[in-house]
Amino acid sequence: MKERDLMLLHYITGIGILVFGSIHIATVFLTYPFQGTIWETTLRFDSIPYAILPVYRNALLAASLFGLLLCTTIHAMNGLRSIIAELIGARKRWVETLLVAVGAFLLVYGTRTILIANALV
Amino acid sequence: MLARGVGRSSVFQTLKVMLTPGRYGLERWSYVLQRVSGVVVSLYFIAHVLETGNFVGGITVWGVPEYSFAERAYEETVKLLKNPVFDVGLAVIGFLVALHTINGIRLILAHFGFSLGRPRRPEPFSPPPSFSTKQRAIFWLSISLAVFALLYTLDSLMRVFRP
Repeated sequence: MKERDLMLLHYITGIGILVFGSIHIATVFLTYPFQGTIWETTLRFDSIPYAILPVYRNALLAASLFGLLLCTTIHAMNGLRSIIAELIGARKRWVETLLVAVGAFLLVYGTRTILIANALV
Repeated sequence: MLARGVGRSSVFQTLKVMLTPGRYGLERWSYVLQRVSGVVVSLYFIAHVLETGNFVGGITVWGVPEYSFAERAYEETVKLLKNPVFDVGLAVIGFLVALHTINGIRLILAHFGFSLGRPRRPEPFSPPPSFSTKQRAIFWLSISLAVFALLYTLDSLMRVFRP
């Protein structure tokens, strides 16, 4: 891909992270009742509405988590690629291949976690 | 050699120049902070995907496990993570994420020509026209929101500001 297209992709995924990340932060950090800490409320496994498991069980919230995973993986790997290219002064194929491999693993592993938690009852 | 004509010492030299913005302007500081925050948050993201994977039993589990097994795996991971070192680390991540987000929006606006100053002849010792008053305001907004995110995260994880 051309550098211009990669930067456009970087900006689009950045805005995606802003949207999906806001939902993720809101469900974890903004819905707790300000009593105790979030370890005792939203970061509990189950049994209250905004605990971890009910968030994953909800299909829309799980889909938004997948959107966040996809956008963050692309944004992070492309960001690291551009910083490494700045440092060594050139785009290197082995660096890009390594970052694609790490990104693919994160996507597969993260999607597995979302799907398992979504089906857990 | 890492690339044609680019040696390891050259990479370290570039890194040294990149990470020492002290005698340059505010725009250079924003450049360095954007890259440092990007790298740290990317590393956190990788760790976060691995850590949330442990919540349902780790890399050996590829089907839906028993509820009690997943609950036990979750509780064990929480026991590991629920300590002040990780809490402070997460608050720093909150600071870096807020900074990277708002500063990133500033960069997108600048890239597409919004909020830039009028083009003019470069004058010695004067700030670059690309870093206009609006751009500087957004940069300071990113710092302010980052500090707020740091304090909010600390409070929600460790109950620092509440009785």
